[in-house]
Amino acid sequence: MNHVVLLVALPLLTAFLLPVINRVSHLAGRWAGPAVLLLTSAIGILLWGDLGNGPVAIELGGFRPPLGITIYVDQLALLLALAVTMGTLLLWPGGGEDRLRQSTLALLLAGAGSGLALSGDLFNIYVFYELVAVVCYGLIASRGTPAAFAATLRYLIISSVGAALALAGIALVYQATGTLNLAQLAQLAPEKLNNIQGLVAFVLLLVGFGVKAELFPVNAWVPEVYATASGQVSALLAGIVSKLALVIIVRLLILVFQQPEAHMVMLVLGILGVVSGELAAWRARDLRRMLAFSSIGQLGVMFIAFSIPGPAGVFAGLAVALHHMIVKPALFLLAAQWGGGTRQLAGAARVSPLGAGLFVLLALSLIGVPPLPGFWAKLLVLVSLSEQAQTLYYLAAGVILAGAALEANYLFRVASRFYYARPGQVPPAAPRGADLATASLLGAGLLASVFLMTPLAAQVEAIALQAADAGQYVATVNPEALP
Amino acid sequence: MLDATLIFYVAAVGLILIGIAGIVLSAHLVRVIFGIVLLEAGANLLLLLATYREGAAAPIFVKGAFPAVMADPVPQALVLTAIVIGVGILALTLSLALRVHRAYGTLDIREIRQRMEQDIADAAGIDMPTSSEAPAPVYAHEDGRS
Amino acid sequence: MRRLTSALFLTGLAVLMAAIYQQMDLVVTPLAGDAINASAAQQVGAGNIVTAVVLAFRGFDTLLELTILFTAATAAGLVLGKPRADAPRDPDAGFILQAGADLFFPLLLVVGLYIILHGHLTPGGGFQGGVVLAAAFFIPVLARPGTTLDHHAVSLIEGLAGAAFILIGLLAMLGGGAFLTPLLGKGELGTLFSAGTLPLLYLAVGLKVGSELAGLLAQLAATEATD
Repeated sequence: MNHVVLLVALPLLTAFLLPVINRVSHLAGRWAGPAVLLLTSAIGILLWGDLGNGPVAIELGGFRPPLGITIYVDQLALLLALAVTMGTLLLWPGGGEDRLRQSTLALLLAGAGSGLALSGDLFNIYVFYELVAVVCYGLIASRGTPAAFAATLRYLIISSVGAALALAGIALVYQATGTLNLAQLAQLAPEKLNNIQGLVAFVLLLVGFGVKAELFPVNAWVPEVYATASGQVSALLAGIVSKLALVIIVRLLILVFQQPEAHMVMLVLGILGVVSGELAAWRARDLRRMLAFSSIGQLGVMFIAFSIPGPAGVFAGLAVALHHMIVKPALFLLAAQWGGGTRQLAGAARVSPLGAGLFVLLALSLIGVPPLPGFWAKLLVLVSLSEQAQTLYYLAAGVILAGAALEANYLFRVASRFYYARPGQVPPAAPRGADLATASLLGAGLLASVFLMTPLAAQVEAIALQAADAGQYVATVNPEALP
Repeated sequence: MLDATLIFYVAAVGLILIGIAGIVLSAHLVRVIFGIVLLEAGANLLLLLATYREGAAAPIFVKGAFPAVMADPVPQALVLTAIVIGVGILALTLSLALRVHRAYGTLDIREIRQRMEQDIADAAGIDMPTSSEAPAPVYAHEDGRS
Repeated sequence: MRRLTSALFLTGLAVLMAAIYQQMDLVVTPLAGDAINASAAQQVGAGNIVTAVVLAFRGFDTLLELTILFTAATAAGLVLGKPRADAPRDPDAGFILQAGADLFFPLLLVVGLYIILHGHLTPGGGFQGGVVLAAAFFIPVLARPGTTLDHHAVSLIEGLAGAAFILIGLLAMLGGGAFLTPLLGKGELGTLFSAGTLPLLYLAVGLKVGSELAGLLAQLAATEATD
């Protein structure tokens, strides 16, 4: 299990050496990145089998926690690390200027994302988060258009404010407990962080890490960034990076900040996210921004789900998150060429029947139409919400249903345009071959999961139960008890 | 009452507040960037303050021995990391500001935002939203008007 | 409207922070810090415990910090693009600045390398020394704006130094240990050759930071603000 560090170290090493490799041989420079990611994906899949006996903690440098940094490998962490690595491989940036630098950034994303999923130390998480942020800035700006630069700048400013606030939150946590190791924080939290200092620290960390998770209200950067970034980058951001940030917040909630006020804050912000996201998507007039706002709404649903205390909430949220991780990238890939106003999409079905069909399938799953997985995920959330006895949770359930209705409206408005061709109107371009292939792969996976629903659900539930078990986390890491 | 911890705490929180105020209230991009720098400085100071010990010496082996009461080395290492991260991101911010200025000819945040929306709308072939609060027309008319 | 909400938000935040201060338990118990102070000499062997934290206990953070700098430089390079050959340049500086820059260059090199190599003994280290090295290479560019840094050399040093850091960390894994375990003997506390691989790590850090920042500054200097 020691080799899980390779998922972080190898991509980083290759990224550092890529300019040197490229000078030696252009061919090697072009394929070194995907080759390394293939290798690390294989390592990750092999290690998945080793997790049969429960999660494993690795002490970096051989130093016992809390002196050193620990890496905590449970099924959720390894799953996310694999998702980042394989996702980057699948959505490898192509085209655009400066292929070498883009490849470097993609490799760094794979390494940094894996590390973010696996880390077990609060400040280490913060540094990984910043690394992912800088890589994203580079990837978004790689489009090269002035609008992309301006969108990146806006994202950067909001993200920097969030990061500084998160750092202040870390300062408060460190002041109260004297440690940064998540397991030891879990041990000390009930007596040291169960006060206003703890709550404020949680809110600061929530807002800081929530920028990437498109939390309300720090999601002002979302529409412009998705409108100006390339298809693959949008897919990576929406599908994977947002989930990484979300899971960080969830881990903090499970391990460190167990007080009900923290759950309430997340619930309220989640409701606001669903409302603002779905309404804005309903009013949007170009496809990419519509999908971006819809993402905000879906992430709001996830925040609501994770704010339900106990393993049930983690299970529901995880189901929605995994479903979103497959559907949204595919939608963004299809929309890469369809970035115009929705009026211009008329007749797309004739140009690319596969693309239009896929879009309809993905939209149906997103709205939550049985028997597609999206339906089961949303049902799980609604059932868990109804089991809570508080009004705010019932309100959340109502909001989610209303959001689904809005989703149906605007997604079908777009889909119906595909099949309605106006005479004399030039149909939009077909999606690129590579994009279409990747989207078809994801769509096929979605369809396959319909038939494999029972075993898949059982597996996701097992992952969620393991992740929600704070006691097991502390026992596995076993930090040294210090006076 | 005026012990060191209080002074530093007020300084750190003050820097954070001034930084946020600068970012939120400024119209000029460079002032926003200064606000970010101040905000990060405040957060770093707060981090250093977390385990401040009065009268502790630096944890360095001097003249054959370590000092009796040593300061906490962990926040020092953390702030070192945070400062370097800040510098890296600042360099990237300035590069972006340079390119934006070259493209749009202005460093006013509001103008940049408008030009960016204009560019996005042009690329998408739709009209620019007149206001972010105005509802977009839901149904398009048959002849293309909306 | 915006000013009002900002004022309200900031006042609220100030009040909240004041409330926290009232409640704060000012008796600090840095669990990790005290334990590190007590055991650093025996576990790592570095005279400067902060260096022990930066490179040994929390070496992973340092690796990521390096990576962030690298990523920022890469992204900035992507954003700035290639400088045009016919771009207008500032004129060369006067005699005093040119002569001063020429004199400063070897001085800064020595000071920078000293700070880097003694990072495990006295305050300083790779990042601080690296910035001084970057200044050493950048001052000639300031004095004679026409000179360009050899960007190939810069990226070569950058890449190899960063790779060296990771490889030293991976070497520990070959022996069955964890990533970034300090290797080589601890030596005698307080001498130059002590603390195992720590000076080597800091050397890699210093070279990487120096070359990276110098390259970034040179690229920024070569970019004109208006077309």
